[in-house]
Amino acid sequence: MLKILDFFNYAQSESPWIVHFCSGCCSLEMAAATGPRYDWERYGYMQTPTPRQADVMIITGLVSKKILPALLRTFAQMPEPSYVLAIGACAYDGGPYNESVSVIKNMTEILPADAFVAGCPPKPEAIITGLDIIKEKMRKGEPSAASQGGLWKQMNF
Amino acid sequence: MQQLQNLIAGFNVSSCEPYKQCWIKAKLTTQDDLISLATALKANGLTSLITVSPTDFPDDNRLELNYFFEDLLTRRNAWIKVDIPRELDACQIPSLTPLFPSVNWHEREAFSTFGVRFIGHPALEDIFISEDFIGKFPFRKGFDWQAHEANLIENMACIVRGFEREHAINDARMGKGSHTTLNWGPTHPASGPLRLRVEVNGEDIISVKPDVGYVWRGLEHLVEGKDFVGALVAIERICFMDNTNAMICYAQAVEEIAGKPITPFASMMRVMLGEIGRVVSHLMGIGGFFNTMGLVTLQMWALDVREYFLDVLEDYSGARIATASIEPGGVRYPLKLALLVTLEAAIAKYEATRSEFYAIFINNPTMQSRATVVGIITPEMVLNNGLCGVVARASGVKTDIRLDEPYAAYDKINMTYMLAEQGSAKNRFEVLFKEVDQSMDILKQAIADLRRGIESGEYRPEKDAMVRIPKKLPDGEAVSRVEWSRGELMMHLVTRKSDETPYRLKIKAPSVNHTMMLETLLAGKTLSDIPLVFGSLYICQGDLDR
Repeated sequence: MLKILDFFNYAQSESPWIVHFCSGCCSLEMAAATGPRYDWERYGYMQTPTPRQADVMIITGLVSKKILPALLRTFAQMPEPSYVLAIGACAYDGGPYNESVSVIKNMTEILPADAFVAGCPPKPEAIITGLDIIKEKMRKGEPSAASQGGLWKQMNF
Repeated sequence: MQQLQNLIAGFNVSSCEPYKQCWIKAKLTTQDDLISLATALKANGLTSLITVSPTDFPDDNRLELNYFFEDLLTRRNAWIKVDIPRELDACQIPSLTPLFPSVNWHEREAFSTFGVRFIGHPALEDIFISEDFIGKFPFRKGFDWQAHEANLIENMACIVRGFEREHAINDARMGKGSHTTLNWGPTHPASGPLRLRVEVNGEDIISVKPDVGYVWRGLEHLVEGKDFVGALVAIERICFMDNTNAMICYAQAVEEIAGKPITPFASMMRVMLGEIGRVVSHLMGIGGFFNTMGLVTLQMWALDVREYFLDVLEDYSGARIATASIEPGGVRYPLKLALLVTLEAAIAKYEATRSEFYAIFINNPTMQSRATVVGIITPEMVLNNGLCGVVARASGVKTDIRLDEPYAAYDKINMTYMLAEQGSAKNRFEVLFKEVDQSMDILKQAIADLRRGIESGEYRPEKDAMVRIPKKLPDGEAVSRVEWSRGELMMHLVTRKSDETPYRLKIKAPSVNHTMMLETLLAGKTLSDIPLVFGSLYICQGDLDR
């Protein structure tokens, strides 16, 4: 029985689908990662338009207050285990918008990420490396960080 | 120009003088004359009122409104100022939206951020700002951002309540036949962070109402806390698709106030970097257009070519996208001749792929038949709605700031307007392609000029890159325009003596007016036309919301 479950984890980790959600400018480098030079589909990563079929959500940098409810709603629609990859300085502490009041500056507290990729914006190679960390988590069957805690559980969205 | 100056001088003005090549700058003594002056300007061909920019002077207890009128055809522009009282009760002025539809959202923006009430505006609702800022007018001097920030949870709840109210209204409307309200975005794969409230009857669109502000960062306020160079961090993030031209625009405004012209070498470098930015952005736009029609292949090919140009930016500045390569005073880094070789390789890569682009995509019969019938923009719509850039040129309107008011070293470049006639989605796509070709040509001219200049010793790439700009600028204000990849980008910068930070920066970005057009273009069409029309308008949410 254990072996079969391991196999499912393995199978899932080789083909993580990523929900197509863009909240900030880092999605430009995400697009570059889908392009021919970096081509993340080599590793099985693919974008899907619906959260219902997605395994991973990428927080693409900046999250403004207005988009946060939509982001959390999209995340809540994903089936378990739903992993989160945060990319870009903004997704950590607001980055260059740290002094702007319309931008969320504690995204990691609200929706804890399983991996964080630094940069503004991070290079496509770095984004793929970040996804590899999540892949490793999937293979081991570890629960996602966001399911363990985070302010998002107390928030109304 | 003289005639325009005489016309304006005929009103109650305290000053009226020419400004730069194609502007008349004047200040009205009273707001009573505004409507009659605007009517006269419109009758004289200045049909686009491109933006209204308030500046707050709490010391003098006044708000200064700056109106920017443009005539795209004859390049005569007017910059009209008028003072209004600062107290919220008295802070009002007649709306110009009934005369100039182009200023609709700009007046709403001034209302949301500064609390200026425009009397007679058809629907003076808040825009861009999120729900928690409504009624607080955050761009006024003295607004306490820290105190507002302290209530994050309550602010979030306020935003959610706004959405819930709207859902309740939509729910109440449901169940009457096939009449319903759909949300297109912000999670739609083609939309980006923007939402269209689409009222439909079955497949047919009754009306479209865009909901914007999902990436509102308050950039104009953000720069007020940074020094003149540090502000670039915010400026280049207006939109990452083409960040070099935005920096050129800002740098020009600072240089004008400081009174320091840059070197010919730095001007030519700006042309080169600006055109690379344009190519990078246009290739994204080209890919995005076909992507919205459901064909990913072109995007992949365009991304492939784009990488070669990003290599050039990376070689030059160390970053692929956030280059921060242009700052007030010139360009940040000297030029190594090897960079020109990398750039030539990128141009060769594009030229090798170009014929395939044309054979497969431009002459694609599906695209030809699908995209010629939707999203048609007439030249009149361009002139009345303040459209610019690719969208305007695809309708046959000759406008291009690079030619109309040459900046950097564009006066040394041989180029023409890239035009199309019908103004359909297909035409806009074609103009995008033609402009990439044009940029390649400009890049070649720039490379040749840089090589010649460096070899003859006219340019000294080590010494000429930067001119020192003082940390503190004198009292002053400047208007700077560049042809951004998506159209005319204008910045209005106000500085005060002994301040190390900009006092006020207004950014007029092209996507605002283009998004405004969606309401007109999509009414009466079907749901499946939304992505195509949206994709063809080449909108970037970054510069829409700022």
